[in-house]
Amino acid sequence: MTMTMSNPASASPYLPRVATVAEACKFTPKEAWFRFEFADGQGIQYAAGQFMEVSVFGVGEAPISICSAPGKRGDLEMCIRAVGDVTNALHTLQVGQTVGLRGAFGNGFDMDKVAGKDLLFVAGGLGLAPCRSFILDALNHREKFRNVTILYGARTPADLLFTKDLEAWAQRKDSTFLMTVDRGDENWKGNTGVITTLFRKMPKVDPANTAAFIIGPPIMFKFAVLEALAMGLRKTSIYCSLERRMKCGLGKCGHCQIRNVYVCQEGPIFNYAEVMRLREGI
Amino acid sequence: MAKPRVSFHDFTSCEGCQLQVLNCEDELLGIVGAVDIVNFREAIDEKSDEYDIAFIEGAFTRESDRKRLEHIRKCAKIVVALGACACTGGLNVLKNFRGIDESMKKVYGEAASWYETSPALPIEAAIKVDVKINGCPIPKQEFLEVVKSVLAGRTPQIPDYPVCVECKLRENVCLFQKGEYCMGVVAKAGCNAWCPSYGGRCYACRGLITDFNKNAAKDVLAEYGLTLEQVMAEFRMFNGVFPVAEPPADGALKS
Amino acid sequence: MLPQILPKSKFDEFVGSLSADNRVVAPMAKGPAFAFQEVQTPEDQAAIRMDYDLSILPPKKFLMPQRETLLSFGGRGPENVQPQVQAKPTVILGVQPMDLHAIATLDAAMAKDPADPYYQAKRAVTKIVGLNVAQYANDYQFMADMDTLDAPASGWDLFLTDLGDRWFVEVGSEAGQAMITKCAGFSPAKSDDHAAKVAFDKAKAAACSKRLPYDARYLPELLANSYDSLLWNAVARRCFSCGSCTNVCPTCYCFDVQDKLGLDAASGERVRSWDSCQLRVFAEVAGGENFREHADSRLRHRVFRKGKFILERTGKPGCVGCGRCSTHCVAGISILETFQQIADEAAAEI
Repeated sequence: MTMTMSNPASASPYLPRVATVAEACKFTPKEAWFRFEFADGQGIQYAAGQFMEVSVFGVGEAPISICSAPGKRGDLEMCIRAVGDVTNALHTLQVGQTVGLRGAFGNGFDMDKVAGKDLLFVAGGLGLAPCRSFILDALNHREKFRNVTILYGARTPADLLFTKDLEAWAQRKDSTFLMTVDRGDENWKGNTGVITTLFRKMPKVDPANTAAFIIGPPIMFKFAVLEALAMGLRKTSIYCSLERRMKCGLGKCGHCQIRNVYVCQEGPIFNYAEVMRLREGI
Repeated sequence: MAKPRVSFHDFTSCEGCQLQVLNCEDELLGIVGAVDIVNFREAIDEKSDEYDIAFIEGAFTRESDRKRLEHIRKCAKIVVALGACACTGGLNVLKNFRGIDESMKKVYGEAASWYETSPALPIEAAIKVDVKINGCPIPKQEFLEVVKSVLAGRTPQIPDYPVCVECKLRENVCLFQKGEYCMGVVAKAGCNAWCPSYGGRCYACRGLITDFNKNAAKDVLAEYGLTLEQVMAEFRMFNGVFPVAEPPADGALKS
Repeated sequence: MLPQILPKSKFDEFVGSLSADNRVVAPMAKGPAFAFQEVQTPEDQAAIRMDYDLSILPPKKFLMPQRETLLSFGGRGPENVQPQVQAKPTVILGVQPMDLHAIATLDAAMAKDPADPYYQAKRAVTKIVGLNVAQYANDYQFMADMDTLDAPASGWDLFLTDLGDRWFVEVGSEAGQAMITKCAGFSPAKSDDHAAKVAFDKAKAAACSKRLPYDARYLPELLANSYDSLLWNAVARRCFSCGSCTNVCPTCYCFDVQDKLGLDAASGERVRSWDSCQLRVFAEVAGGENFREHADSRLRHRVFRKGKFILERTGKPGCVGCGRCSTHCVAGISILETFQQIADEAAAEI
């Protein structure tokens, strides 16, 4: 009497698609970058700020932000920190190996909503990964925005991620890039100190006309937001990405729920006014 | 990958947890195929100092055992504490509350001075433990989970929530509703609510969940008619090694 | 189809007719309590207790089982991954009105985009025979307040009311109609049957009085005002965070997903199981940060879900007043009492 429904694979939102590791690069002992190509040739469309559920079968699934430029494309990039079983297993992936991917999930952010504005990106630590998606989108469509400022902070020079991008951004004449490390080493000639010290070193922005994207650990977010508010930015113009343990990505499992908001669907990108209203956001 | 070499060792215990391993009849052949068992007194005669995974059963309750434990730790890549005695000291800890001298006299009488003993402790008191398989005895499925997880290179899925979760999922009638009491509200699950499912109360043989609510344990159990002494006795049964089981000075449960 | 009458002497015959091509589950005694269990033997059939007061677990366990395989895998890579959607044609016998409302809530939550194919596959092959109740099972229940004393307009196939020597059977769907025609025992209800049914409902309404000091439509707003109340801390002092309240709740649907390994430590199944927002690690992220670390914030989250969030998301009640959470709370924490207290909190604030 048991009936096994022959569900077409695509009908189950819990069933991952197959993707192949096309490129991989170990940034630090803890953080590795991967570029995945979809094996089914159907590609993917995603917005900045969206995330994927990444499967290692037998170990589990973990939500990971996309770090590549948004759009409709055949591949996507993720920077993965080894903090748990799934991410540790992902670190052993070699080029040519396959993973399961579900998504893209989350609200994401359409950069056209802030066209014509000054943009301020503040990325702390691994927060640079989701932030990079926004930054690349802005730089790829540089003409849509006025001043672009990118601030990036890491713990030590050895913790810096996306160093090729950092060099490229520093070279650009059409935007400002500043970075700092909490502690330098003998070779470090750049800024030292927490990321908020960069606010004093950056060119002035037009606060009423600036959108800020502040993405990093909660403690960094709290202090960076204070700086942005002190500069006169509007709460509704400060955006962040909330980290939660999204198990399903489908607004069902409840793990990512903050009050009545499912971060996996209505987030992870929120403006600061919304975060304040949520109370339990940060 | 070469088959991992597995070794079993016993200290102060009834060796019932190793028996539980042998009770994995249906699965044992699969396991034996995936690993090489080099020491297992209950099942094989060989002895070896070359192993990757050491399962240690029993409490640490003789200072002279420290050397043996340290030796095992040195030989093994992964040390697994097998069962309540190894994980929390188990029932052996009861003697700590009675006083060592009195226990010795009671057990060995005139010959007490011939034997060496010290307060019973988890093996963690002597060496670093990587994985704990709790329970008196261990649940078979958790032993298998640990072996499979080690083989797969992942953290074993061992719950840190109360037995009540598994008890409710099995739709058991709550012992409290039957006018009895039960440690399931503070005890670590993973046994699939073994005892309550057969009508017995939970003694928290798998240890206590992280950050359990001491206020609730004190107030609510009192409402079910338990005196503080009875509550302490319940905690001491398998969890005497935790500060919560020490005699309270102010009438409150400690953490 | 108009209401039918089934003499009680024909009830066994009716259950037998359902068993022919369905798994039939029905309330039976479990110790001093009741549980929905499968009817497999004549002894099981004799053990059906249509006079049960409250089941330990709600009938949701047949639509969203405690543990359920989502897919199977052959190894670490995504090759050889098969979705596993299991759905047995099932008749759930004896579902009380508040649980019918709860199933409507689950239906809405699981249909919300993207729909859950595992739930929906089971729901599609499940037929529900509702059962009227005459009175509250205990002092924790407050269905009158939550407007769940009577069956919802749809979402069930038959609905039975006990008229002593006979069942008054309302028909809610074509599948229900088919169940009637398959069994010879039914006959159309007559005027005195209708009158008896009306009297039953009148007596029920009289026996089941409202227990909240306010109209339940104000519940979401009262909860919103209580967010910063010290009440949550006071209640949480007694809370073991054991998760029993959510596990017995007919509208809770949060879950965890884990990969279970086979003996080869490579192949296995991805399994989802009921999870509880009351458990300490529920809102913990990989880095170790826990966004609802303390029992009071978890308890408040549950009560808000029950009284406010689920209603706002699905348009269906997040709490149907069944009282299971309170009945099964070792510490005796009562959601009815909490709902009562928040009104006083609001009054004290003014």
